[in-house]
Amino acid sequence: MLAIENLRVVYHDVISVLNGISLEVRDGEILVIIGANGAGKTTLLRTVAGMIHFYDGDVIDGDIKMDDVSIKGLDSADIMKRYSLTYVMEDRPIFEYLTIEENLKAASYSRWDKNVKNDIGMVFDYFPALKNTLNRRAGYASGGEQQMLAIGMALMTKPKLLLLDEPSLGLAPLITEELFQIIQQLNKNDITIILVEQNAHAALGIGDRGYVVELGRVVLNGEASELLKNEDVREFYLGAGEGKRKSYKDAKRYKRRKRWL
Amino acid sequence: MNDFLQAVGDGVFIGFVYALLGLCIVIVFKASETFNFAAGEFMVIGSFLFYVLFFDLGLPLAVALPLGLAAAGLVGGIVEWFTIKPLLGRSPLSMTMVTLGLAFLLRSSVQFIWGSESYSFFLELPDITVETEELLFISDPIWAGFFSMVTFILVLLFLFRTRWGLAIQAVSEDQAKSMAFGINARFILLIIWAISAACIAVAGIMISNFGALSVEAASVGLRSIPVVLIGGMDSIGGALIAGIIVGVCESLAGAYIEPMGLVGFKEVAPYFLMLLVLFIRPYGLFGTVRIERV
Repeated sequence: MLAIENLRVVYHDVISVLNGISLEVRDGEILVIIGANGAGKTTLLRTVAGMIHFYDGDVIDGDIKMDDVSIKGLDSADIMKRYSLTYVMEDRPIFEYLTIEENLKAASYSRWDKNVKNDIGMVFDYFPALKNTLNRRAGYASGGEQQMLAIGMALMTKPKLLLLDEPSLGLAPLITEELFQIIQQLNKNDITIILVEQNAHAALGIGDRGYVVELGRVVLNGEASELLKNEDVREFYLGAGEGKRKSYKDAKRYKRRKRWL
Repeated sequence: MNDFLQAVGDGVFIGFVYALLGLCIVIVFKASETFNFAAGEFMVIGSFLFYVLFFDLGLPLAVALPLGLAAAGLVGGIVEWFTIKPLLGRSPLSMTMVTLGLAFLLRSSVQFIWGSESYSFFLELPDITVETEELLFISDPIWAGFFSMVTFILVLLFLFRTRWGLAIQAVSEDQAKSMAFGINARFILLIIWAISAACIAVAGIMISNFGALSVEAASVGLRSIPVVLIGGMDSIGGALIAGIIVGVCESLAGAYIEPMGLVGFKEVAPYFLMLLVLFIRPYGLFGTVRIERV
């Protein structure tokens, strides 16, 4: 479905964040991308969604292809309309001063059809909690409600490919679990999902395949279940090492290991 | 007492015009966090465009007015396209600086095209002068207030009752987020600048109608600064109330303080008031209270 080939992205002409990352998204899967802070996960999603220019970033090499057609350099609104690709930014991208209903309507701006009302109903089927707070300002909703609203807003754009940037950010474990179940459900309803997460355990738990990104490169990929068992992933991302104490020097993984593959 | 009522009444009518000016600044500020210092120049350009259509070409008012406003909106859009759009995503301050430069550029352009002499400007609107034994409200300011309010309400309806308005509100809140949800933020900004320029032109035409039109009228645009700062930079209701406050303040100063020998105090009074308000409420009377979750 989506293929990213050797992508290099630089911010402000000097800060190189993605250094030749390549990955592939297959139709109908949940693809999990994990990596430490600053690995370039968010930059990757921004680039795919066509928003990198807004952040003063530039694609200096490589290509992004949607079903073998390059979408590099297209405007975000274009990408969304043509390829039904929706990017849910991190940290609950909602409009705080609009009510929940207005938020959902604003998100449906890209389509002009009459089905908006039905679709709002569909969002409430997924997220019943939103229904009671319809006329409240979104800024006053709880963190969980805000994240659900953000995903609900993304659903209003009728996505086929949904990019989720750390949906579990700042949520209680129980809420996270609920959210991930809903994400799984969305996936069953024919939405391909790219899930970027810090919560590696939960994410790999619902994912089909996973990529590990470090310093703007893919260092490891495979089936999610395999990654969960992988010794290095367990140590660095799941916090489950062999149980003995280590010095901080050892924990600097890029020093310890020159090559992953 | 009658003097007072007279002064307040006069102030309210001109205050409506200021409120419209303030609204134009506020919607641009909300959308792009840019203070449009070129408001006065947009006003003059809009009025001149209307002047050309109505007086030079002799079109009927019902045709010339919409055409003139559309032309003013077009100018606003073009200006945004060339100066603001390339700066999207950068610091709002740089855009504000651009509008300062724009003010000079537009002013010289107007001088270049139309010169700096005054053009007589008179719309034949029905005489609706209100006259009682003690009070006299002349027709032109009433019309000016009326048209400004109608425009104000139309803009509000557009902002709060249409899908476009919702998109504009979304962009006002956060450009990046709205882009992520498929709202074309650049296009929305263009629309806002166009609307703002067209509405400023309404205010300009109404003010020119008090006497004559010349490039110097741009200084009235500066009156939008106290309006917007008193009302709060991002408050639409604040623009309305502050517009009236500034109008009344100006007219009271003219009626009571100027006769004491302070000639020209009328022009300065709103700025004094602005300073006072800013001492007490730095965000203006109705500036946004930021949402904090508890």
